[in-house]
Amino acid sequence: MASQVRTEVVEQTTTFTLRELCEQSGVHAEYVIKLVSYGVIEPVEEPAAPEWTFDLESLARLRKAQRLQRDLKLNVPGLAVSLELLDDVQQLRREVERLKQQVRQLTGR
Amino acid sequence: MDFKDYYAVLGVSEDAPVDEIKKAYRKLARKFHPDVSKEKDAEIKFKDVGEAYEVLKDPDKRAEYDQMRKYGARGDGSFEPPPGWQSRSPFGGGGYTEADAAQFSDFFESMFGGGRRQQGAGPGGFGFGRGAAMRGEDVHARLALFLEEAVKGCEKQVSFNVTEADERGRLVPRRKTLKVKIPPGMREGQHIRLKGQGSPGVGGGAAGDLFIEVELAPHPLFTVEGENILLTLPVAPWEAALGAKVPVPTVDSKVNLTIPKGATTGQRLRLKGKGMPNKAGKSAGDQIVVLQVTLPKQHSEKAESLYRQLADEEQSFDPRSKMKT
Repeated sequence: MASQVRTEVVEQTTTFTLRELCEQSGVHAEYVIKLVSYGVIEPVEEPAAPEWTFDLESLARLRKAQRLQRDLKLNVPGLAVSLELLDDVQQLRREVERLKQQVRQLTGR
Repeated sequence: MDFKDYYAVLGVSEDAPVDEIKKAYRKLARKFHPDVSKEKDAEIKFKDVGEAYEVLKDPDKRAEYDQMRKYGARGDGSFEPPPGWQSRSPFGGGGYTEADAAQFSDFFESMFGGGRRQQGAGPGGFGFGRGAAMRGEDVHARLALFLEEAVKGCEKQVSFNVTEADERGRLVPRRKTLKVKIPPGMREGQHIRLKGQGSPGVGGGAAGDLFIEVELAPHPLFTVEGENILLTLPVAPWEAALGAKVPVPTVDSKVNLTIPKGATTGQRLRLKGKGMPNKAGKSAGDQIVVLQVTLPKQHSEKAESLYRQLADEEQSFDPRSKMKT
């Protein structure tokens, strides 16, 4: 089977307009605007809302926000706090891993 | 088919009131949410918890389940519904589970069967109208890369579940495998998107996309710090004191690095452009070499006498000068 698998090439730099972002994730523009105003996602540049563009990380984050809201019934401020804390935890986890590894190397174990 | 003990899944007793079930569900949903939990099978546990709640929160379904639980309690944990069994409470209630109904277990299907969403006749949730075209679901997958693969780019096989309609129009999960060309310079936590590789659309709707989140496997030598790659390099005391040229591994080859005279532990030397590339494959970060002065485990008699000479010579050096009161 594996030999029949076609290789998919990843699109490199994708950006989305506000409209595309909404269509892509099935939400209203108001919802995106609210998420932006709470700093949950950020447009690449910040002209007026109709000209916003978003990168792939914003889209992925929007999807994550949608899953969390759907599954855990969060409101937007709660969502903003959760996502920030999740980011912090992840960053700390990486930092701990990195430091642990450096300690291992320094102590030769 | 295995019998599913929904009470055990939620960790409640058989006679737990609905409030308690709800509370247990909420707590476990937070704990095992795949976007929150780092546990390995969080996704499976989260689905189990959702499925258990879907049944136990509804008095009718719960009564049917309790009946079945008595009937189906065979010693070996296997389960078959009685012949002619048909649920009086077709699945289709509200709640988050709607979106994931196709992911429920065969056990659930056998009890509340016909419950899986059907094309154009599903619960009237968001965007799921009568036979209307609907975009397929986006699918999220994770992919672990070795540092070498992330730096140079690579081709990887990725497997994931999509949801698609079977011949009867029911939405069922299907395993899908793709080969994906990963561009160079992917960082931990970054996403790539494959357009149209998610779940197929319904009623002529477009297919969803596949999102792959990249993870980096730990490397025995290198660590990644932003766009830089760190390497701890052991050096001998005399290399540090006198300076030296030593071979140093980089992610894709090696280079000769000049250790400056009088180097110390913790000193950072920079190899320009040997860090993580950016998305266009051009160099963005550097490799940072952190020096670590390392001593032999044992010294020969000759070396010891040389150390004594050194001690005489360097009497003014006090390594503990900062500890004085």
